[in-house]
Amino acid sequence: MNPPDPLLLQTRRHFFRDCGVGLGAMALGSLLGREAQAAPAANPLAPKKPHFEPKAKSVIFLFMAGGPTQFELFEDKPELQKLHGQPIPESFIKGRRFAFMNTFAKETPKLLGTKHKFARAGDGGLSVSDLFPHFAKVVDEVAFIRTVATNVFNHAPAKLFLNTGSPQFGRPAMGSWLTYGLGSEAQDLPGFVVLQSGPRGPRGGALNWGSGFLPSTYQGVPFRAGGDPIVNLGRPAGITADRQKDTLDAVADLNKVRLDRTGDPEIATRIAAYEMAYRMQTSAPELIDLSKESKKTLDMYGAEPGKPSFANNCVLARRLVERGVRFVQLYHADWDHHGDANLHLDGPLETICREVDRPTAALLMDLKQRGLMDSTLVVWGGEFGRTPMGEIREKVGRNHHIDAYPMWLAGAGVKRGLVHGETDEFGFGPVTGRVHVHDIQATILHLLGLDHTKLTYRFQGRDFRLTDVHGEVVREVLT
Amino acid sequence: MIRHFVIASTWTAAFLVATTGAADPAVDYARDIQPLFTRSCAECHGPTKQKAGLRLDTAAGVREGSNNGPVVTAGKSAESRLVQALNGANDLKQMPPKEPRLSAAEVARITAWIDHGAKFPAGADQPRKSTHWSFQPIRPSAPPAVKRTDWVGNPIDAFVLARLEKNGIFPSPEADKVTLLRRVSLDLTGLPPTLDEVAAFLKDSSADAYERVVERLLRSPHYGERWGRHWLDLARYADSNGYSIDSPRTIWPYRDWVIRAINEDKPFEQFTVEQLAGDLLPGATTDQKVATGFHRNTQINEEGGIDPEQFRVEAVIDRVNTTGSVWLGLTVGCCQCHNHKFDPLAQREYYQLFAFFNNQDEPTLPLGPAPKTDTPAKGKKAPAGLTTMVLQERVTPRESHILKGGDFTRPGAEVTPGTPAVLPPLPAAPQTPNRLDLAKWLVSPDNPLTPRVIVNRIWGVYFGTGLVETENDFGTQGTPPSHPELLDWLAAEFVRRDWSLKDMHRLIVTSTTYRQSSASRPDLETTDPRNRLLARQVRLRLEAELVRDACLAASGLLDARIGGPSVFPPQPEGVFRFTQVSRTWAPSDGPDRYRRGMYTYFWRASPHPALMSFDAPDAGTTCTRRNRSNTPLQALTLLNDAGFTEYAAGLASRVLRDGKATGPDQVDHAFRLALGREPIELERQRLAAFLEKQRTHFAAYPEEVTPLLEGAGPAGKMLAKLEETPAADRAALLLLARVVLNLDECITRE
Repeated sequence: MNPPDPLLLQTRRHFFRDCGVGLGAMALGSLLGREAQAAPAANPLAPKKPHFEPKAKSVIFLFMAGGPTQFELFEDKPELQKLHGQPIPESFIKGRRFAFMNTFAKETPKLLGTKHKFARAGDGGLSVSDLFPHFAKVVDEVAFIRTVATNVFNHAPAKLFLNTGSPQFGRPAMGSWLTYGLGSEAQDLPGFVVLQSGPRGPRGGALNWGSGFLPSTYQGVPFRAGGDPIVNLGRPAGITADRQKDTLDAVADLNKVRLDRTGDPEIATRIAAYEMAYRMQTSAPELIDLSKESKKTLDMYGAEPGKPSFANNCVLARRLVERGVRFVQLYHADWDHHGDANLHLDGPLETICREVDRPTAALLMDLKQRGLMDSTLVVWGGEFGRTPMGEIREKVGRNHHIDAYPMWLAGAGVKRGLVHGETDEFGFGPVTGRVHVHDIQATILHLLGLDHTKLTYRFQGRDFRLTDVHGEVVREVLT
Repeated sequence: MIRHFVIASTWTAAFLVATTGAADPAVDYARDIQPLFTRSCAECHGPTKQKAGLRLDTAAGVREGSNNGPVVTAGKSAESRLVQALNGANDLKQMPPKEPRLSAAEVARITAWIDHGAKFPAGADQPRKSTHWSFQPIRPSAPPAVKRTDWVGNPIDAFVLARLEKNGIFPSPEADKVTLLRRVSLDLTGLPPTLDEVAAFLKDSSADAYERVVERLLRSPHYGERWGRHWLDLARYADSNGYSIDSPRTIWPYRDWVIRAINEDKPFEQFTVEQLAGDLLPGATTDQKVATGFHRNTQINEEGGIDPEQFRVEAVIDRVNTTGSVWLGLTVGCCQCHNHKFDPLAQREYYQLFAFFNNQDEPTLPLGPAPKTDTPAKGKKAPAGLTTMVLQERVTPRESHILKGGDFTRPGAEVTPGTPAVLPPLPAAPQTPNRLDLAKWLVSPDNPLTPRVIVNRIWGVYFGTGLVETENDFGTQGTPPSHPELLDWLAAEFVRRDWSLKDMHRLIVTSTTYRQSSASRPDLETTDPRNRLLARQVRLRLEAELVRDACLAASGLLDARIGGPSVFPPQPEGVFRFTQVSRTWAPSDGPDRYRRGMYTYFWRASPHPALMSFDAPDAGTTCTRRNRSNTPLQALTLLNDAGFTEYAAGLASRVLRDGKATGPDQVDHAFRLALGREPIELERQRLAAFLEKQRTHFAAYPEEVTPLLEGAGPAGKMLAKLEETPAADRAALLLLARVVLNLDECITRE
């Protein structure tokens, strides 16, 4: 058992001294003493010391759900353009499995060039297409990795893999690991917040931010774009703020009476939970109210208060980390451009790029201007990338691909203007600098001051980790 | 190095001279062969790593071979994969992969040993044995002698008290009668006692008053719901397919089968056999087939572009892992990719278990016409008839292989169904064993694990923690039992009493140990802060479904019908905004609105938020013990979820219907209905002051009454109709009821 956190004890002492009703000095002493010994009910989200000096305090993870196409965005491959329409050499795909095997089984898949124009952006040697004009201007803020590899090529398992380190169910999400390891600086908000935009939520739903075998204290809390940001945050119909306050006061007083009589520290935790719930009822609506943001800021993101969008969520993400929230994950769907009538590489791709491009660049600049880049890590990427071969359905698209796909990191402790890893002439696989999803996870933990091999939780007789038994910190991208 | 080589060569030359010709009895495996493997191979094929599933640091390992099959073929060195690997022959990568390799003479020595019959030392063919406690036979001992014999209600108490006396600790006094009644009612049925039940128990001063309550509760059909729900955690029961699409499924007939089986006290032995292999029983009944739904609770991936075989294999793996956890309390899943690092379980043995579950079809079983519901699941065509999901053995068995690294695209050596060697063997049978044999083996009297695991899990529900704290790991990495003799006594008793679960519940809840007060003991804070010695009971927050049930019961709104299709009570807006496929949730206005929490429709990708806030399992994998967290989201649920305001309105109406007209009477009555007990004076005063303040407020602001009552759903509308009571009083009473339902004690069993 960890020694009691002095800050927590102090908070508790303050709480009972200033707010205590019917709780004698003896009971207080006994309560604090109990914490000192067994600490069964210490606030699990109280800030905890990392393993070593962290670079970042918070993470904003821009999860591009569905798997963005690197070939329309970042991978400028003359060879692919030249051999457009030719079957991919057998050597690349012999014995390989892909999603939608049936479509691929009919004939050897053909290489697909892109219509989009690339231009060199920044000093690191990255090419960015005309679909991301705003991002092109800020690439020198990020460490771009071309060569991320994952293990699974279907959406739900691959999302779980990136979030939990395993394609199977039951493991905690990265945000849960981080709040378990570090607690949260936010006193009035959850430590792990999930935001969503686009036509639908991510595949796998709640399992993507579940706490697995960790206590549910650490599960991600979805914030909704409209209405109450958190389920049940708003008072029930017909209950005014005054009635709610009276109710909370009475509940607190009576819970303290019971605490005094039973001595169960769980009641003290429940009293504290109600206090935080009360604070959240003020802080969360204040948080999602973007009307206080300047017009200049809103315009920079392309955000419009009251109109749910990825842009609004990017503003919210900045506001969340400003308030000490540890892990903010933004899902934006749907990048799954197979070539269906409504999901292909023309209009639908252009739309989603427009939705994402400006706010992403704005988020980086906004964080920078406010000095938050020094304490925030921004991660961009999806569960996998897409094939250099085309997939022809009603329209033209690309299939899921897991050998090498792009992600980038930016912010505290991350090199700026770096491009890491090279792919082959078709962008099919890595030539140098392969980075596995477990390595990304290890790197994120590292930047927050946690050794991924030491952040463990014992379950079923085994010490589990986010990175399973794998993962190497990608030193090349660190400052 | 050179010197070493010279010596080795000289030695080998002598050896070769000596062994030329016929089989040479002088070849000693332990002396002449094993040291070579230990020196050159064990780094990758030894105690820490077993590449290709091969272990060469023990004779048993060499004999057993790798994931690709045997490595030694006696008398035929050229055909032995071991020799081929040492020589880099037959397209095998030469082993060891780097220098220093074995010298030609050393390879010759191994070749000669194989050609001379590959004699292993005695014992290499013996199954692995373990001295670990849980693999040893159950050995019940007589309850120990104690000093305070008057404290011993049944043998459980003797075991517990002996430990306490040894440590010089006094047990706690018995809980007061109301606390005890509320505790045992919640523990056995998941519902708090009614006022009549409390009154009757308080009045009953006979010696066996408590025991008769226990009998009544064990006969209650709600007992099957309460303990059925625990089983459904293990079964990973849900009403949808999971993964990304998360389509609805119909498998509630299995859920109802569980409730019935528990209520009938179907012996656990039979309970096991029917769920794992009901379809294989001679003349299997429909019910027995329904029971096989246990292993149909795996998820189904309907995402486009998947390889169906991959997810079929994943379901089989989940079945193996679940079976291992639920019955054996072992983390067999660790062996999916490699031999178990800590327990005597080999990867091969994992796939032998896999082979039992690799031979089924997954049909739906017709059950007759579909029952009517308040609110059919929208977006799903009402089925012509009711069906449920079952398992059915295939006529032509599938081949099973070791899957290298757990990867279904990399099959290794073929395996046949079998059980781990560290446990008692399957009875010899003429045919290949099947699921039925496995099920019977799991509940055979000499299986040391199943009875221990089951009684320990039950114990954990009553005391917050099992005797073995790691209820899902009885292996070497788990914690040893706090009371090993008690565990064995209970396990033996379970088998002796024909696997009667009711008998075990009765034994535990009638023990003096169980009946102790749960009040904290300052004197134990240094000696036993975690209450492992059981000198008191514990306060436990109710499980997610029971939080709802307890409040519904207090409100008088509860619809206590058992079973049937899952239902749609109200839930907050926007739950489906975070899922791939948005589902509609049309809340019931009829009686289904007030069904017990276990009947709430469970979408895996978007479960009811009130359930998840209170730690309901996500039905992704088997859950052997729920977490018990204590969070602000729970506070928000109780405070603001429309359902709970509705229950408060129900409770307020009930207080009025029961004729309580004065403030103090109303306070006492609401308190009793929710908590069972009378308030103490401090509580009474605080609540009365609250009630009075709200009443004054609503009298001054009558326009606030209607929105409040209207906002509280159908129950609020009922309250609005009780017009003989002034409106301000009704509104104030609703808020009073809401305070009471928000108390920690209301959602806690003490």
